[in-house]
Amino acid sequence: MGFTIAEKILGLHSTGEPVTAGQVVVAGIDFLMIHDGRALGALAAYKQLERQDLPFASKTALVMDHYTPPPTAHTADIHIAMRSFSKTHGTVLYDENSGISHQLLPENGHVTCGDIVMATDSHASSFGAFNSFGCGIEGTDAVAAMISGKCWFKVPETVKVILNGSLPPGVWAKDITLHLLSIFGVEGCNYKAIEYQGEAVATMGMDDRVTLCNHSAELGAKAALLEADDTTKSWLQAHGACEPHPVSADPDAIYSRKIKIDTPALEPLVARAHQIDQIVKAGEAGGESIQLALIGSCTNGRLSDIRQTAAILEGKKVAPGVRLMVTPASREVYLAAVREGLVETIMEAGGSFASAGCGPCIGISQRYIPGSNERVISSANRNNKGRLGNPEAEIWIGSAATVAASAVTGHITDPREIAGGTWREV
Amino acid sequence: MSEQEKKDSLVLKGCAHLFGNEVNTDIHCSNKYMLDKDIAYVAGQAFKQLDPSFQERFQSGDVIVAGKNFGNSSSREYAAQVMRYMGVSAVLASSFNRGFFRNSINNGLPVIECDTKDIETGDHLEIVLDTGLVNVTDKGLTLQSTPLPREVMAILEAGGLLQYLRQNPNW
Ligand code: SF4
Repeated sequence: MGFTIAEKILGLHSTGEPVTAGQVVVAGIDFLMIHDGRALGALAAYKQLERQDLPFASKTALVMDHYTPPPTAHTADIHIAMRSFSKTHGTVLYDENSGISHQLLPENGHVTCGDIVMATDSHASSFGAFNSFGCGIEGTDAVAAMISGKCWFKVPETVKVILNGSLPPGVWAKDITLHLLSIFGVEGCNYKAIEYQGEAVATMGMDDRVTLCNHSAELGAKAALLEADDTTKSWLQAHGACEPHPVSADPDAIYSRKIKIDTPALEPLVARAHQIDQIVKAGEAGGESIQLALIGSCTNGRLSDIRQTAAILEGKKVAPGVRLMVTPASREVYLAAVREGLVETIMEAGGSFASAGCGPCIGISQRYIPGSNERVISSANRNNKGRLGNPEAEIWIGSAATVAASAVTGHITDPREIAGGTWREV
Repeated sequence: MSEQEKKDSLVLKGCAHLFGNEVNTDIHCSNKYMLDKDIAYVAGQAFKQLDPSFQERFQSGDVIVAGKNFGNSSSREYAAQVMRYMGVSAVLASSFNRGFFRNSINNGLPVIECDTKDIETGDHLEIVLDTGLVNVTDKGLTLQSTPLPREVMAILEAGGLLQYLRQNPNW
């Protein structure tokens, strides 16, 4: 009998043998992340303990990404508590403006193939791009993991998504997820792991692969997983990761559902306001005008997104009345964008940059609140009413290409209609 | 704990309080929208919006009963802590949100997956945790719930994950 990637990784970290979906296992984990949005829960759970030492703290990162820079005194104080906790227990610390946890962990070599990485955030599914089982937890689990280096899991069933053919120009991993959301609906893969395979994955760069796994959280996925190939291994090596132990699925593994996507037929898509599974083609969005264009987040704030934005904005101007804000996913991404001259291109076109972090992905960062009756097009991942701090604004979601093209025209635009909109690095 | 005491602790008895499908515990049982309030205050407001008479009826030891996806889009483990503070002995629902289910186990709140369509508010329930049997005593009904796996039962019996770890440092 064959096994899925999730069954193998969880099995190898618990019994030493593959386990099957539905089993409950206690597995050793490889790395843990707690971000500032959830740090108070973890610190409160820690206070209940009688013990002081946390043996797993050296493999734990505390990240200040949601409240960066801190919008209130209360959130600034959370950061003070995190710094002090980190110093006492010897955790890794990523301070304000370093970037988003899901970008920082792989970038700094904390993730490798075959690992289990737990985080107080549902977008931990991102780590699956590196053939690692990444999964979201809460404070109690996080404190238990800092003590024991372990976590309990119900082994998930897996949905297999086969991406035949490669992505056509102007279409990105973001559009694949939006397409899947139109099929499964929001949380349509609740409790499950998703494995992505096929030519489209093989031809994607790491940035797009992370988008694919990250955005699976909107499908409700507990984890998303890719097999490792040379692209994965050389990326990990370049970022100082530990030796990879790639895990692949058996050909006769059991899946709860298999679906095939005709990738070359996909087109740029957008999610309409308030519902991430209300999907329409960007070219058929009815030419809705926009006032705020946002590039960023753990889903699409990486270097390839900024390169693509610059390719579209090169020699053009942001439409009158539109504000374009780019928030790089990490300081490293920001610096690369500076060195490549992308920041200059985008700023000459009338765009702006904010320091790295979650930024205007979520209203709690208070980073960019849209006005009432304004329409936002964003490369982030969620668009529920009020997500950006004003329930009277609309948030539409699309790829960085779609956001940049819309910033130029002033309305929701298929990037293939704009010069530079079919750019892709080779 | 003696064997008899251990057996008794596995049997929960309480009165049912019924809610519908898709109860969001971030809204109905957490401090998400009242960050400055303490747990006693939040517990005193819990589920009021869903059923204004709930707070008057509810007594410590009672059971929350609901339909599908209890805890939907809820991520805060505070909900499980509030329910324990209130004295909720168990939550019975036809299905649970993954995060809510996990948080409840970790905080020592029994969560039991069971077809709840024949249970009404006011029914007396007797839940045998290790076998998963649910007796609706005054109706003479016995329902079979999905029994909780051994590892999960062990965490619940200890009163939560951190308590379990204290007793079992070599988890
Ligand atoms: S960028 Fe957005 S989705 Fe990602 S971790 Fe930050 S707030 Fe969450």
